[in-house]
Amino acid sequence: MIGRIPRGGAAGCAAAVALLAAAPVVLDLTPYSHNLLTLAFLMIAGALAWNWMGGYVGQVSFGHAIMFGIGGFVSARLVLSGALPAPLAWIAGGLVGGVAALGAHPMLRLRGPYFSIATIGVGEAARLIFTYWESFTGGSSGLSLPIDPILKYQLYWWSLWLAAGVAAASWLMRRSTLGLQLLAIKSDVEAAADVGVSATFYQDLVFCLSGAVVGLTGALYASYFAYIEPADLFGFDRSIGFVLMAVIGGLGTPFGPILGAVVFVLLRQSLLATYPQLYLGLYGGLLIVIILFEPLGLTGLGLRTARLVRRLRASRSAARAA
Amino acid sequence: MSLLAVRALSRSFGGLRALDGVDLALAEGEILGVIGPNGAGKTTLFGVIAGSLPPSAGEVQLAGRHIGGMPAHRIVRAGVVRTHQIVRPFPHLTVLENATVAALHAGGRASGPAPSRAAEVLEFVGLADRADRLPGTLTLAARKRVELARALATAPRVLLLDEVIAGLAPAEAHALAALIRRIRDERGASIIMIEHVMPAVMSLSDRVVVLDHGKRIAEGTPAEVVRDPQVLAAYLGPGGAP
Repeated sequence: MIGRIPRGGAAGCAAAVALLAAAPVVLDLTPYSHNLLTLAFLMIAGALAWNWMGGYVGQVSFGHAIMFGIGGFVSARLVLSGALPAPLAWIAGGLVGGVAALGAHPMLRLRGPYFSIATIGVGEAARLIFTYWESFTGGSSGLSLPIDPILKYQLYWWSLWLAAGVAAASWLMRRSTLGLQLLAIKSDVEAAADVGVSATFYQDLVFCLSGAVVGLTGALYASYFAYIEPADLFGFDRSIGFVLMAVIGGLGTPFGPILGAVVFVLLRQSLLATYPQLYLGLYGGLLIVIILFEPLGLTGLGLRTARLVRRLRASRSAARAA
Repeated sequence: MSLLAVRALSRSFGGLRALDGVDLALAEGEILGVIGPNGAGKTTLFGVIAGSLPPSAGEVQLAGRHIGGMPAHRIVRAGVVRTHQIVRPFPHLTVLENATVAALHAGGRASGPAPSRAAEVLEFVGLADRADRLPGTLTLAARKRVELARALATAPRVLLLDEVIAGLAPAEAHALAALIRRIRDERGASIIMIEHVMPAVMSLSDRVVVLDHGKRIAEGTPAEVVRDPQVLAAYLGPGGAP
């Protein structure tokens, strides 16, 4: 029921993507805006992919930084070795991220808070392992990548295509019979099994897809920033970030995480410089408000406002008729 | 040969033997009633046959194929599906979507796209006009039909009905009993039904099995079973028989 787009929605989305694609050329963006938009596209892709698991299946992962970091470091190593051109190295990072996500299989027997707590533990273990695995990640001093400035500039578009592709995939997944089965698992895993839906299979499948996309996102992120360290890519903040973006935007809605990611990136950038402590407090407050009053986040707020406007209009026209 | 054969099936919960060596056979095209006092192990029997609970001992065969102990989703694909005593529709999916999820798992026994097969099932159970509603907006009687539609959408060979009639007003109960007979006659499903509503069990069942304390205490035609002294004792207590 959630996630019907109004008619012309697809055209609107395509227009928005086209506008953003033309922006660097037409508007002559400052490096700061260029940076901010690229980061926003990457976070949109990551938040949407997180939402497949956290929103569609209802398994809230606090460990997605693992796949983000693995994608980032695997692609970085491949770029450094010069064995593959950058785009192939990114894809390889995504694939390894997807395979790594399959490692969640035993944890996916757990549901709800038990699963979430397990992902926190595994996420922290992974952060420590990769921090101490200096020959691969460079330890706490990280890795610097020789990224060509032209490639860095072009990463704006690569990131945009990724975000647009993942958004389209989110929409299709939600509308497909796969999406129905995920919702069935989310609402009643036993009743779903009693009509033939294997929660084990679909959870593994979606976690793998989600991990591959997040890995790919991490790979683009690594190349764009050209310097990566385990504390950033594998950090708990990173995992929490995916959760926050999806929850702020609207958990389980196909496009909500886009809004959430944009708000997240903008708030973070604008507050990080001036009030570095404030932004975490603000997220915390926002999260409490959303969970208490509007479980569908900004999307829910938007739907509620639209309903209110419609009702006001209806009552006004009724008054005019009378 | 029987379509579904249950042999010496047992299931314990800690020290409690909820099912204790139950034998049961269902013939193709048969409606088998399962009755027994509360706590007799009827729902546990369904849980074990449908794969929601692994058996502690014993076996289940569908047309000669071992299905005992398989996970529920594979048993559905093999052709055995259950409904729940307390209906469990997926609340955020429309009635049609509820049936569609199930229709995806017919295991090759039906052809055509799942949504159109689901729509056909809704037509059959009389919910076609409510296909786009959410289950929460329907009456209990209609939600029982959603539960039935979802099970039927998997094109079952064996349908396990857990008290679908109980709790309904007489008119609805009659309509649902007629629907159960049509499921057997028109859709070719063989049925085991647990039911407390005696007139329904007696008129629908070809045979009745009586469980008490996890054991099968009687079996026969409805008329035979109600005269069985052991059955009367189980329901009314020893010495309760006239």
